[in-house]
Formats: sequence, structure tokens, C-alpha cells
Amino acid sequence: MSEAPEHLVKSYDQELKRLGNLITEMGGIVESQVADAAIAILQRDSEIATRVVETDPKVDAIEREVEQFVIRMLALRQPLAADLRNIVAALKITGDLERIGDYAANVAKRSIVLSQFNLSLSLSGLGHMAQLVQGNLKLIIDAVSENDAEKAIQVWRSDQMIDDLYNTVFRELITYMMEDPRNITPCTHLLFIAKNLERIGDHATNIAETVHYAVKGEPLTEMRPKGDTSAYAVVRPRE
Amino acid sequence: MGEQQGQRSASFGGVQARATAKINEARISIRKLDFYYGDNKALKQIHLDLPERQVTGMIGPSGCGKSTLLRVLNRMYDLYPGQHAEGEVMMDGTNIIAPSVDLNSLRARIGMVFQKPTPFPMTIYDNIAFGVKLHEKLSRAAMDERVEWSLTRAALWGEVKDRLQTSAMGLSGGQQQRLCIARTIAVRPEVILFDEPTSALDPISTLKVEELIDELKHDFTIAIVTHNMQQAARCADQVAFFYLGEMVEVAPAAQLFTAPKERRTQEYITGRFG
Amino acid sequence: MGGGIPGAAKNEAVARSLGRRRHLTNLFVKALCITATVIGLLLLASILATLLWNGLAGLSLNVFVTDTKPPGSHGGLLNAIIGTLIQTALGTVIGTPIGLMVGTYLAEYSRGSQISNVVRFVSDVLLSAPSILIGLFIYQLLVEPMGGFSGIAGSLTLAVIVIPIVVRTTEDMLRLIPATLREAAIGLGAPKWKMITLVCYRAAMDGIVTGVLLAVARIAGETAPLLFTSLGNSSGLGNLATPMASLPVTIYQYAGSAFDDWVQLAWVAALLITVGVLAINVTARLALRGKK
Repeated sequence: MSEAPEHLVKSYDQELKRLGNLITEMGGIVESQVADAAIAILQRDSEIATRVVETDPKVDAIEREVEQFVIRMLALRQPLAADLRNIVAALKITGDLERIGDYAANVAKRSIVLSQFNLSLSLSGLGHMAQLVQGNLKLIIDAVSENDAEKAIQVWRSDQMIDDLYNTVFRELITYMMEDPRNITPCTHLLFIAKNLERIGDHATNIAETVHYAVKGEPLTEMRPKGDTSAYAVVRPRE
Repeated sequence: MGEQQGQRSASFGGVQARATAKINEARISIRKLDFYYGDNKALKQIHLDLPERQVTGMIGPSGCGKSTLLRVLNRMYDLYPGQHAEGEVMMDGTNIIAPSVDLNSLRARIGMVFQKPTPFPMTIYDNIAFGVKLHEKLSRAAMDERVEWSLTRAALWGEVKDRLQTSAMGLSGGQQQRLCIARTIAVRPEVILFDEPTSALDPISTLKVEELIDELKHDFTIAIVTHNMQQAARCADQVAFFYLGEMVEVAPAAQLFTAPKERRTQEYITGRFG
Repeated sequence: MGGGIPGAAKNEAVARSLGRRRHLTNLFVKALCITATVIGLLLLASILATLLWNGLAGLSLNVFVTDTKPPGSHGGLLNAIIGTLIQTALGTVIGTPIGLMVGTYLAEYSRGSQISNVVRFVSDVLLSAPSILIGLFIYQLLVEPMGGFSGIAGSLTLAVIVIPIVVRTTEDMLRLIPATLREAAIGLGAPKWKMITLVCYRAAMDGIVTGVLLAVARIAGETAPLLFTSLGNSSGLGNLATPMASLPVTIYQYAGSAFDDWVQLAWVAALLITVGVLAINVTARLALRGKK
């Protein structure tokens, strides 16, 4: 996990390695959950969607295991400095990953409902969002296993794009809903799906902040990009 | 679910970034200090401040010079020919390692508690009175009062108040150490030096002494050398890490133990030392 | 990871026979030690028994109230007793402070230096020097210039014998004191001499007193040096400027003589010296235990 010399007590290193492996495993599962959820919406594949939902308990189980393990290590090893930051970071990261998994499952569930509708609207915006989110997620999971603060900063900065895209999709969907009341149900689901994707992006940003502190010992001091302006969005009907 | 824009500032680690521990003005300033055991240079250009009424912890592997530094501060090395110090240790504008300094009054201002409890072969009362008699002339009543005050501050009064005239050798290890602490504070020094004060004690006595140090720092400036990093983490306001005669890093305790700046410090405190 | 401890497997039979051999060796050595102890104790007991048997026979009040007299005149040992008491006391009083200070110097002020090695060496030589030589030394120094034997010469001889004993024990006892105790006193601001007198001496007191007692026991029975210095006095006590009586010299005179009553008194004198030294030892130890 680091270029520093090994601990004098070998079992400590083994435990840290196990912790790292658990997180990597969880990251992998969550990554494929999000990918599958995207496919489920865009290709209206209910089978894949079901698979995503069924994977969720596994993710929760790993999160619990990591939690127990971290508490045990804190009690028995009294970690300091980088060890302490890494171990506490592991706890936070699995929390964020677990939420990402939940959002992915949520998206998958809604895609099952959506597949019953014949959609006349374009899903390209959503598709693009899903792509960006997956990209960020992959990058941040790599950053976690490589302890790479640079990648973390990259992820942290590129969240802005996802937020901008979300705002666009938001307005687009409202426009569709105003055009034709029959669109309201599917568009509402799509709205929630878009929000979930945006939240996945935010959690990836959380992980980025955690990784940066764990590696550098200093928090990311720039203002967090909070580009979600949908709270203030007003769309007027075209006259 | 929706968070207000701009309200979440830097998250993880932000609390630490906001709360900077306040380190007081220096009571003792060490500058460019070199120390020699014969020809062997044991301390190299030490630069350290001991802040007023706070605890400075000194950690480092065996032989790094931390105990040596402590013993420079009260000129204990004067007892042994062949040991000498160069540089400045400033206290109230005087360099206390200059040859012209009166050692007896220096040691009344800077007291020391040792690793092994060392009660004198006298009664408990006489142990405490010993130091006081060296520097002050007190009436019997005033001396009684001073003895009671010291033993109370050292959290020992309740246990020994009925047997002040019995030999100090009959006390338990933890009690003897607290007696030594009482003896040291009885002369009302300004600075107290602790040289691994709890390494010979059981865990409960250790915690009692740590609690004592926590209270004493309201009135005295304290420096403590310890092998036990958790003790330094618990007791000290600022911590200095020594290695091979050099002071590698000094920082507020919370910072040194969560995010030290030097690689050597990190390797030592995480138990990775090569 | 490498498993197990290298080497051949344990052989039960070999282990057992080795164990038996060890056990037998144990018993053998134990028997030797016990035998040696018994022999030593028997010798000691027989000496004491002889002393008591012969000494008690002649013990009477007369011994304590009459001076020594020519054979057949019912003489006692009064002057010899007092003479020994005076010379022993004086010798101790003169020699102990000197020995104490030299021992303190060696332990506290000059550790490891060349001069301390020389001083210690000289002291040790003096310790094992035949006491008759010391007597001869004082003879040259004091008896000849004074023109005669004297009690003071005798006392000084005994003092010279006391000095190296006290030096030895003082230095040893002071060295036993841990450095931390000294540092604790210094750390409170005590000047060196106060550290030594108030702390070190108190801590070493038991050992130093034992050393002094050893010295007293030694000089109480010294005969040869007194022959050349205080000579002994058969007609009375004498004083510090004249030959002075003493028990050891009296024993020397009486034991080899042809007179029965004198021989008897010699035994009594020997008994008195032994009992006296024993009494001092016991009293001092009791006194020290009380102080604890």
C-alpha cells in the first residue's frame, strides 16, 4: 500500500493489506453495479436490472465487515499518523461505496418500471451522465487502491461537469413533462434516476476528499464544487 | 437530500485544520545546543522551545539523546567529568549552561523526577523537607504546611497523612514515585523535568501520575521524556521527536500523531523503523 | 516459514541417564558442603567450649577489682581491662574519622582517577600488613623519640590498624549507593557535601558501622604491635605517657608462665576479650535494627 518500510510487526501489514483488499473488492462490485444499472436503463434490460438489485446485500455485508475490522484495528493497534488516516479513511470510503451501491440499485429498480413505457424522448443526456459518472467512479477506485492523491483531485474537479449535465437533463425533462402529460410518470422516474446518478458523482467526490486527506495529511481546501442549481431552477412554458 | 450551496467546506480532516492547538510562549529556549560524552557528540544543534505551563513530550528510539537533553537542562552532567555542553539554553535572559551559573539555585528552579523512584532513607516528612531546607528557612508550622501542600498536589496526602514520621521506604512503588514528585514540587520550582517517570510503575499508578502531570501543568512548565508514545499522546501539548542526537520534528501533539511532516517521524511512530 | 526446532529428536533414555548423573552429583556436592560446615562448626564450638571451660573456672569478682599482681598474690585483671578499653576506644576514635574521610574521598571525589587507584592500593597493602610491622613503625616514630613506651603509642598503633578496614568498608558501602539517589539529592539543589553527609551516609550507615565493629573486634585482640608500643604494665594501669597495661599483653605474659594462677588468669582474659567483642557486636546490631 505504500513505499514506506514494513511494520516491525508483520501481522499489522497483513491486516492493512486485508483491509485494502476488502475495499478493492467492494469497489469492483459497486463499479459493475453502476455499469449494469446504466445498461439497464439505456437498453431496457430487466434481467440485468434484477442482478444489480440482488448484488446489493453483498455490498452491505462487506461494509459491515470493514466496519468491524476497522474498530478492531483501532483498539488493538492504536494506529498513528498515516496508518490512522488510512484506517479511518477505509471506514468512510466503504460508507460512500455502500451508498453508491444503493443508488445504483435504485436506478436499476426504476429502470424495470421504465421499461414498461414506450419512450419518445431521447435518453442521450442521461447516457452521457452515466458515462461520466462511471468514468469518475473507476478513476476514484483506482485512486483508492493506488493511494493516488492526484487522481483524487482530478475526480474532485470533474464533478462539476456531471452537475452541469444534471441541470441540463433536469430542465429537459421538465420541458417534456410540460409538453405531454402522458410523459409525467416516465419523466419523473427519469428525474429520480438522474438525481441518483448525480449523487453517485457526489459520493465519488467524497471519496476523493477522503483519499486526499489520507495520503497528504491535509484536507482539500478549495471550495467543493456544488454545481447543482436545480433547487433554483424554474422552467417557464414556451408561449 | 439537497444541500445548500457552499455550506459544506472541506470535510474529512477539516476539524483538525480549523482547531490549531495553542502553544504558549517559551519558558526555556534551547538554541544550537551540542553535547559531548567525551569525544562523542550526543546532541547536535538542538533548537527547541519549552512553552510556559505546558507539557513538552520528547520521544525517540533508545540512544537518541532525549534523556541527555533533559539532563542538560538542570546541569546534571556537571557531576560527571568528561561531559560538556556548548550552545545556549536561555531562561529569563540567562544562559543556564554558562559556567558562572549557581547550580544549587538553578536546581531549585528546575526540578527533576527520575525513572526509578528514589526516596531518601528518611521519614516521609524529612524527605519532603530535605529540599526545602536547602533553600529556605521555614518555621515548623510553615514547613508542616509546605509538606502538606506538596503531598496534596502530588495526590498522596490522603494515603500518608497519618504516617508522616514513618520511613519512606515502606511505601509502594507508585506511592514512592508520587513522593518523589511531591519532594520535587516542595521547593516550588518553575520547571519540572520528568525522565520516563512511569516506566517502573504498573498501569494504574501510571495513569495516576499522568493525571497528576495534567494538573501540575497549570502551575509548572513540564518536559517529559517517554518511551511510551501513547503516554506522550495523552499527556503532552507539544511533542518533539529525536533521532541520533538530532531533533527531527516538533509539533502540537495532535498534529504530530495524525499527520507528521517528516518521514522519519512517521516511520518511528507507526512502528516501521528500519 | 521454517517449522520445528533443528537437531535430532529427544531420546528419553539418554535424558533419564543424564538426569540420574546430575542428581548424584548434586547429592555428592551437598554432602561435601555439609561435611565442611560440620567440621568448621565443630572447630569453632571446640574453641569456644575450651575457652568457656577454662575461663569460667577462674572467673571471680576479684578479677574485676584487683590489679595484676605477682604470682601467688591473688591478682586480678583490672588494670589490663581498663587499659584495653582505653587503647581500643582511643584507637577507634582516632582511626575511624580518618578512614571514613579517605573512604569518602575514594568513593565520591576521585572515582576512576589514577590517584584513587594508588590510594586504594596503599590502603589494601596496609590492611594485610602484619600488625607487628605497624607496631615497629610506631616504635620508630614515637617510642624512641619519647624515650619510652606509652599508652598513646599503643593507641596510635591500633588507630593505624583501624584505618584501612574502615576505608575499605566505607568505600564499598558508598559505591553500593545507586547513582539515582545521589542525582535525586543533587537535583533538589543540594551541594555535594550535603548530599554525602545527609543522604549517602544515612543510606550506607549500616555497612559503615559494621565496618567499624569489625575494626574494633580486630584491634581488641592485637598483641604484637602493643608489645613494641605500650609494652604492658604489671604494676598498675599507667597512663598515656607511660607504659600501659592491656589484656592481650597480659595473656602473652601469663599464658606461657610456669605459675598456675597466672595461666588461669590468662584464660579468663581470653574469655573476657571474646565476650566483650561479642557484646559490642550484638548491642550495635540491636541498636541499628531499632533505628529502622
